[in-house]
Amino acid sequence: MKILVCIKQVPDMESKFKVNAAGTWYDTADLAWRMNEYDEYGVEQAVRVKEQVGDADLTVLCIGPEKVKETIKKALAMGCDRGVHVLDDNLSSREPYEIASMIAEFATDKGFDLIFTGMQSQDRGSAQVGVLVAEILSMVSVSTIVEFSYDNGVANVKRELEGGVKALVQVKTPALFTCQLGLNTPRYPTLPNIMKAKKKELTSIPSTDLLKTEGRQHTEKMYFPEKTGGGLVLEGDVADLVNEVVRILKEKTGVLAR
Amino acid sequence: MNFELSEEQSLIREMVRDFAESEIAPSARERDEEERFDRVLMFDKLAELGLTGIIFPEVYGGAGADYISYAIAVEELSRVCASTGVTLSAHLSLGANPIYLFGSEEQKQQFLVPLAKGEKLGAFGLTEPSAGSDAGGTKTSAVKDGDEWVINGTKIFITNGGDAETYVVFARTDKDAEKHHGISAFIVEKGTPGFSFGKKEQKLGIRSSPTLELVFANCRIPAANLLGEEGSGFKIAMKTLDGGRIGIASQALGIAQGALDEAVAYAKERKQFNTPIANFQGVQFQLADMATQVEASRLMVYMAAYRASAGLSYSQSSAMAKLLASETAMKVTTQAVQVLGGYGYTRDFPVERMMRDAKITEIYEGTSEIQRLVIGSSLTR
Repeated sequence: MKILVCIKQVPDMESKFKVNAAGTWYDTADLAWRMNEYDEYGVEQAVRVKEQVGDADLTVLCIGPEKVKETIKKALAMGCDRGVHVLDDNLSSREPYEIASMIAEFATDKGFDLIFTGMQSQDRGSAQVGVLVAEILSMVSVSTIVEFSYDNGVANVKRELEGGVKALVQVKTPALFTCQLGLNTPRYPTLPNIMKAKKKELTSIPSTDLLKTEGRQHTEKMYFPEKTGGGLVLEGDVADLVNEVVRILKEKTGVLAR
Repeated sequence: MNFELSEEQSLIREMVRDFAESEIAPSARERDEEERFDRVLMFDKLAELGLTGIIFPEVYGGAGADYISYAIAVEELSRVCASTGVTLSAHLSLGANPIYLFGSEEQKQQFLVPLAKGEKLGAFGLTEPSAGSDAGGTKTSAVKDGDEWVINGTKIFITNGGDAETYVVFARTDKDAEKHHGISAFIVEKGTPGFSFGKKEQKLGIRSSPTLELVFANCRIPAANLLGEEGSGFKIAMKTLDGGRIGIASQALGIAQGALDEAVAYAKERKQFNTPIANFQGVQFQLADMATQVEASRLMVYMAAYRASAGLSYSQSSAMAKLLASETAMKVTTQAVQVLGGYGYTRDFPVERMMRDAKITEIYEGTSEIQRLVIGSSLTR
């Protein structure tokens, strides 16, 4: 059995972000980097399937500059067997379709039975790459999964829909899944596994070898929302205040509608 | 010269920080208040992550990482809970390391492997009521009787005492020898008849780490539990403490970084005179001094750790690192309480705990005065 998990390196979300000089992305200087949180759930699920079936071969793929290797090493330390680094210094200017095309180009004819990706990245958040990979590979995909089990070529998954509604889906492999937060509890890479990770295979491929499409969208401008006034301060008699709060909650929010 | 962490050192920092923040930090205040050691959280989980034997080779159940990785692990744990940091440091540097450095192959297989794997917790018994900084004044005795040693005496202030299973204990084996030469080191296991625990100390800080008295009353241990050569105990203790100082320096560094992080976050949030206090130069200067001292300590701690891993002499370097980092921890935590003002003085914020925890780093495993002696004598000999 062959499994692929696709991950992305993103800035630590507690970083202080600035818009870059071109005004189209965030400034990457002096940021701390880590694995996209959604992808950690994907890696954990892939490793669990590998542990369950025993004879699986698990590849982790990451696109980006040289420094993303550190994030690949983390995935290897969590239990992936081999790493693939698609070297690309212009990742931030690529649109989701280009990224998905590169992954699909890599995965073509490799016979992956299961592919896991994060539901979205924490920095761009398009939520398109996973499902586009499946589309290009003519593979079935299930998005936003919160539970996963696998047995003998069949995956049973629970999807999260809007408003807290869930759906149970059964699919035959090969299939792709995009992972929602809370799907599982990602493990910590143990110290012995961190040490072993450096001996695992890590192949580098230039993105030009995989990129066969041209971007059809580009980011015009990135900016922080303008600061609006602070919160609403209500004053007066308590009984009136309660009525006023209830009125505002009813009119401006959905919390009292249900 | 390279100041960058290696990929694996960075991964170890990320892993230990994630673990410390999500699992250790939430109960730090409560464990401090209750003076409660949580074995599962503060040791067994470290074992699962492979932290209990970081620096030992894989053949002895360790992870085969370097001293800098060890320093990073103790630093990151201590950043949120100094008690957890010292649990690891005392276990690894003081309990396990003398067996790795001076034990026979049989002793390593029997005692080091379970310590490194974290199946057993280690501790170190050197200090006595009348032998603190003057370890040569050890009065606990060990007398050979057939193929056993009979130990009598009391050890005090023993970190991990009571909960640890394996103790490296120092006792006088030759009353007539010059005081530093008549001491030997022994491995004593919890449960040995004649070995019991006395009072548990009630402390100012590191209250979630147990500190107990060890009592030996005709405690008989196999002759094979003598560690190193008879009479070499003082040398073993000093060499062990050289390494231990890297652990405590890392603990102090972590405490200081934790306090700095709290102070910076608070200064950005807290508004007085209609602006965050971080905008006041007086506060910025305090934070600048704190951060500069923390960074200087970090360089010295990692330097000592580097020297230990590279096989260079590190006695002076680890003494300097421990001296600077512990005094920095005391200063920075005190300043952090000042930045937080009245709130910093309450238990609603962790900086008062950090200030209490910092003080011990200037005292144990060699007081600041002893560190100055070590540094001074290595400069002038």
